[in-house]
Amino acid sequence: MTLSGRFVLLLALGVVPIVLFGPDPKAATGILLLWLLLVFVLGGLDLALAASPRAVTVERMLPARVRLGESVTSELYLTNTGRRRLVGVVRDAWQPSAGAGRNRSRVVIPSGERRLVSLTLTPFRRGERRVEQVTVRSRGPLGLWNRQATLNAPGRIRVLPPFHARKHLPARITRLKELDGRTSVMVRGQGTEFDSLREYVRGDDVRSIDWRATARRNEVMVRTWRPERDRRVVILLDTGRTSAARVDNEPRLDTAFEASLLLAALTSVAGDRVDFLAFDRRVRGRVQGASGAALLSQLVDSMALIDPELIEMDWAAVPGQVRSITSQHALVVVLTSVDAAGASTGLLSVLPQLTKRHTVIVASVLDPATVLAAASRGGRDEIYRAAAAERALLDVARVSAAIRRLGADVVTASPAQLPPALADRYIALKAAGRL
Amino acid sequence: MSATLGSSTDAPARLTGAAGGAAGGAAGGTTVATPTLRALLGRSSFWLIAAACILAIALVAALVSGGSQAAGRALAGDNAAPAGSMALVEVLRQQGVTVTLAGSLAEVRGAVGTNSTVLLYDENSYLDQSQLRELGDLATRTVVAAPDFLALQALAPTVGFGGVSEFDTLTADCSVPAANRAGELSPGGDTLSIPPGSAHPLLTGCFASGTNTFSLVQVQNDTTGGIISLVPDARLFSNEHIADYGNAALALGLLGPSDSLICYLPTLADLPRTGPPSLADLTPGWVTPVLVLLILAAAAAAFWRGARFGPLVAENLPVTVKASETMEGRARLYARSNARLRALDALRVGAVQRLALAVGLGRLAQLEEIIGSVAHFTGRTPDDVRRVLVGAIPKSDAQLTALSHAVQALEHATGQAVRAGAAPAARASASASPESPPPPAERMDP
Repeated sequence: MTLSGRFVLLLALGVVPIVLFGPDPKAATGILLLWLLLVFVLGGLDLALAASPRAVTVERMLPARVRLGESVTSELYLTNTGRRRLVGVVRDAWQPSAGAGRNRSRVVIPSGERRLVSLTLTPFRRGERRVEQVTVRSRGPLGLWNRQATLNAPGRIRVLPPFHARKHLPARITRLKELDGRTSVMVRGQGTEFDSLREYVRGDDVRSIDWRATARRNEVMVRTWRPERDRRVVILLDTGRTSAARVDNEPRLDTAFEASLLLAALTSVAGDRVDFLAFDRRVRGRVQGASGAALLSQLVDSMALIDPELIEMDWAAVPGQVRSITSQHALVVVLTSVDAAGASTGLLSVLPQLTKRHTVIVASVLDPATVLAAASRGGRDEIYRAAAAERALLDVARVSAAIRRLGADVVTASPAQLPPALADRYIALKAAGRL
Repeated sequence: MSATLGSSTDAPARLTGAAGGAAGGAAGGTTVATPTLRALLGRSSFWLIAAACILAIALVAALVSGGSQAAGRALAGDNAAPAGSMALVEVLRQQGVTVTLAGSLAEVRGAVGTNSTVLLYDENSYLDQSQLRELGDLATRTVVAAPDFLALQALAPTVGFGGVSEFDTLTADCSVPAANRAGELSPGGDTLSIPPGSAHPLLTGCFASGTNTFSLVQVQNDTTGGIISLVPDARLFSNEHIADYGNAALALGLLGPSDSLICYLPTLADLPRTGPPSLADLTPGWVTPVLVLLILAAAAAAFWRGARFGPLVAENLPVTVKASETMEGRARLYARSNARLRALDALRVGAVQRLALAVGLGRLAQLEEIIGSVAHFTGRTPDDVRRVLVGAIPKSDAQLTALSHAVQALEHATGQAVRAGAAPAARASASASPESPPPPAERMDP
């Protein structure tokens, strides 16, 4: 039961009769008591005549998924199974981050009928956004007292990573196709696979003439090449505590999601197999054996629920995890943060095990604020800041050098640049046949 | 959650059935999280019953203990405590005397009849002289217990105080019948004195102790002829002492003869009003009720605005850590400890690495090579370059600022010189002999 502003106003209006007709205390007290009686009888009557909010049944219709930044409509069907007409307000109690805005809607539902309450959701956080309950406040005919009940109507909507980096995809696919020899420009790498033999035409590289085949046939034959296919790419995401840090107001983890989505999209176009693993001390997300359109949807689905864990990454378990995915040679892309030497000890200690068997790329976000700070030398405080920034950059350079010495490759870039940089590195490796 | 189009199309059919048959109760399909009033009462019944029990016990305890407590006023007719006079009043009532308990002179005035006795006990001296005189004239018999100075002045001006009686036995020894029937009084009480010389015809003293001091003095009112009995020791009428000696006989004899007895214990209502009218007199009668109403309205408004529209929704919030926090922290540490050399060294190491790339010497070039090459490119002396990049030690913040600017300026100058393709001779002389001038100042790894 709740009151309305109208009831408060009615109660306060009792001042008028008390002042007008109550010059002496006894009469005034009598009028006060009479007024209170009147007001509460009216309120009680109102309450008794209000439709029961408990007689409302709720059905929900929700899209299962939405990309972060996009809007969807949540539909709530309210059916009044009671005998009275329900006039009131409905609150659909979404979590704040579901972006429901003002989630109170006025409804009028005659007995036995059904009404739709639709709400536009614009979630502003990744993950699973939930709603558990719907609260119905039913107004009495006089609008003095309300009946209120909370109904269980659970719902959930999965908010997927936005994948802004997909704008880089077409250009990279074009470059892949150039590698593939499907366009007129033949870009040939060293370690590409033998594809087929065909007759020599003018302009072909004489080095690719296959002399044995030429000896068997009467024409000069050349070998054609295509990039390797069906290689394995393992994307390993560090979801430990360092992934929670924000660079350019975006957590490192989200940048890593963008980069791995772009890489996965590219590799699936290139015909390679992608496996995805998010790991800190245990597996937070894993996508294996998917390809084509299913790959990306499975990836975003599993990424949606991953949040940075405030624990230290267990690097010692990483080689085992990779081995459990593939025992063949693969491109292992480790998305983590390359920081001070002390913090990267774990990564450096297990890298030899990985590089012995696989090609490894370590990708990390570089804070553009640090680069800016290193260059700005105003007063005393700014110089100290520049010194600290320079120190941090030197640390990154030292760790990067150590990683390279262990046989792995390093990609560092600002959050906006990391996904395309990683994709370019992949294309370069593919062209070089190092997959 | 049945969120399919199929179920929504066949829903109306189900609804008409529900509208006809469902009478209150929980609607099918949707469960209600808010408990009903009955469920709420049922759940909290233990606490409600416990609270009721505690309240009942407290009430009973208060009633039981309240009867035996000396809480009422002394000589009050409805006070059963030792100081009260309920015993006397009850005995008189049993004997057919109408006993009225009065709290103000107006009540006495209203209750007094042709044949009445008034018992006055003014413990706090509320009455003034005129009121006392009026009281003395009201009834045929007036008994004043423990008269104070004002009462004596008003009713029997010649009678004075006689101190505490020192006699062990007090005998009546006078012509008052009630005193004679009592015979003896409990000793040790206050007395009144009648001046020796004045043989006042209307004064009678009983229970003498010593010369001219008495424990009962009767005065005849010369205007109305009423009898005023002054009993200096009020304890005689109390529940505690009424049964001692002849106290009861004296009390019944003094108070019993009339048809009605008015026990008058003055209260604040008897005080005369003086001074300007108080604030309460000036405010209109509706002020208090209006205040009460407004307080109630404020409470209702608090309920109106404070009532939650359903339960709160919980949400786990993400951690927000800026990645540059460590850098900022280190900068503050440098600044607080004035680590000028350390800060400048960091700047210099970064600059040297960039310079090495800028002049086309690899990452692994020696410092002296870099200094020489930079000196050739910029046209400065190697010593000057060495001073900026290695040698100078900043002694103050000003020097630190100057040196850091010098490092930046050197980098800038080198970059420009390389871009302009200057000093080919210098490049030729450089031992590392890079292939071509690389792009300027690329920060990251190639």
